[in-house]
Amino acid sequence: MTVTSRLEQVAERVETRRAMLSRLLDPDETTLGALLLAPAAVLLGGVIVYPVCKLLYTSFLDLSLTSGAPARFVGLANFQQMLEDPVFWQATWNTILITLITVPGALVVGLGLALLANLPFNIRWPVRLSLLIPWALPLSFAGLIFAWFFHSEYGVVNDVLNRVGLPGAIWFNSPRLAFAAICLTITWKASSFMAMIILAGLQTIPRSLYEAADVDGAGRVRQFFEITLPLLKPTIVVALIFRTIAALQTFDIPYMMTGGGPGTSTATLAMYIHQNTVSFLDLGYGSALAVVMFILSMCVTAVYLRMISGREGAR
Amino acid sequence: MASVSLCKLDKSYGSYRVVKGIDLEIADGEFVVLVGPSGCGKSTTLRMIAGLESITGGEIRIGERVVNALPPRERDIAMVFQDYALYPHKTVRENMGFSLKVRGASAEEAEAKVAAAANMLGIAHLLDRRPGQLSGGQRQRVAMGRAIVRRPQVFLFDEPLSNLDAKLRGEVRAEIKRLHRAIGTTIVYVTHDQVEAMTLADRIVILRGGDIEQIGTPDEVYNNPASVFVGGFVGSPSMNFAKAKAAGGLLDFADGNRLPLAALGGCAMSAVDGREFIVGIRPEHFTTAATDTGLNCVVEVVEPLGSDTLVHFSIGGSTLTARLPPQARPTPGEALWIGLDPRKIHLFDTSTERVVH
Repeated sequence: MTVTSRLEQVAERVETRRAMLSRLLDPDETTLGALLLAPAAVLLGGVIVYPVCKLLYTSFLDLSLTSGAPARFVGLANFQQMLEDPVFWQATWNTILITLITVPGALVVGLGLALLANLPFNIRWPVRLSLLIPWALPLSFAGLIFAWFFHSEYGVVNDVLNRVGLPGAIWFNSPRLAFAAICLTITWKASSFMAMIILAGLQTIPRSLYEAADVDGAGRVRQFFEITLPLLKPTIVVALIFRTIAALQTFDIPYMMTGGGPGTSTATLAMYIHQNTVSFLDLGYGSALAVVMFILSMCVTAVYLRMISGREGAR
Repeated sequence: MASVSLCKLDKSYGSYRVVKGIDLEIADGEFVVLVGPSGCGKSTTLRMIAGLESITGGEIRIGERVVNALPPRERDIAMVFQDYALYPHKTVRENMGFSLKVRGASAEEAEAKVAAAANMLGIAHLLDRRPGQLSGGQRQRVAMGRAIVRRPQVFLFDEPLSNLDAKLRGEVRAEIKRLHRAIGTTIVYVTHDQVEAMTLADRIVILRGGDIEQIGTPDEVYNNPASVFVGGFVGSPSMNFAKAKAAGGLLDFADGNRLPLAALGGCAMSAVDGREFIVGIRPEHFTTAATDTGLNCVVEVVEPLGSDTLVHFSIGGSTLTARLPPQARPTPGEALWIGLDPRKIHLFDTSTERVVH
């Protein structure tokens, strides 16, 4: 190789590097977009995509830390086991029931509270604060408080029942009563969250629309159904997405109130996942259960998103 | 259609009195414009007529009925709001037909009335769109359509053109005037724009600080302003004001300019020596023609507008504006004799600012 050709090679390499550097320092639109998105993409990949993939992979393994045996690929065996597991069906049914009861319950109560808080009070902060407190309370704390409320001997619920002449109940001995107590607690806790979001939505509805409806002849009830509710729909859908996903993952409140009992009558899917992975250290089966919960959440979100996009399409 | 009568109408928020016992009679079919600067109480007055604002004192009558305690829906009025207040989730057809539906009209009747109103306003092709798909001018027409579809006794307009650009404002203004001529319903219209007031009104009510400053036809308030405020508010560019003292049958300006008092018509004879006045002269009443009466001035700024030329100059410490013909092009710094028609000069009392002549 002559000195000249060697020099040409070096010059070419320098030119290539300079071009790369200038692309980095003065990137075109696509490169700039990619560069700006990169940190978020890396973060999402690290905290969402990787764990989900790992979860999926683990769900195909026989991986129990108590047996000491090495992980073994078992295909869909964990899912097969799930189909034959009565506790799984019980926990799934409980989770779905809790979602079906507490999400609409919290929506109705939250909507009522938001409408109340939106009234023209002279001093608004006590109303807003009282809405905020249940939401700000940790879930396990709320579970503990309500476990005391429903205590058969010194709970306030039985005390009130006795005062109005009704017999008290041993709430956590009966599967139905224990379930009802849990649903009530979740509804109380979640309705303040719903109320906060709906209140924010209510405040975006211009007052002039109500004034126009007043002039048009619509009374308060008609205004609610013709103006408030339709205009709140996007807000409500967003609140429902958040709330439904949280309800599908219900753990803290039943864990603190009943521990899933009596028996497994109030166990939820999240509690059963926790039991399998943390208590029994059966990571393979626990992961398979978590995959089911993940798919359930995704399906619900997809339905809600379709509702929103359907509405936007209609605009 | 119905007359509207306001009697000692009063509105206070706490100790702050927004409307101070105003009296106003609006005849059946009349187009009355409430005009004034921000905070003068014009919108509050309109909202009290609509029933959207409670009244602190006085009485409102629509036709023969006292409506003080009636909710808006029982007053048989329709209102066009500043932000149009169209229901964003309803189509134009549903927006316009809403009041009919609420009042129990049949679907066929509502459809026919909506179609008639839409044809009148040229929005028939927009009936299936939602407000979000309309331009500002189209929304404005829909808001008017919603108001006329029910044929109420009184229309109330709350600054309906303030969100439109100047060109569109002119178009819609003409449309509102046509609409009034076509349906003849009583209209109470609120604006802060004196051009809208002058062009639309049968009568203008000029409000200031919650009080009525003057009521009159556009010609009356333009030609005979009751106060410095009205003179300055009506007309564009606004009326010029400068202080002058009566002395020896003349009005003396601080810079030595003089106008003969005798030229001001009989009323000016009440002026006495030594009394100071605020002299009001409209920019369009100056002339470059050779006249006996006029002012010596030095030109400060010249603004050629194409149709006219605005010339700014100082007299007695006040800056005045003259609207001269387009061919008049004095140069800044040039000494100029600007003539004026002495019959067009207004004199105001310096302390009350009310008109003397």
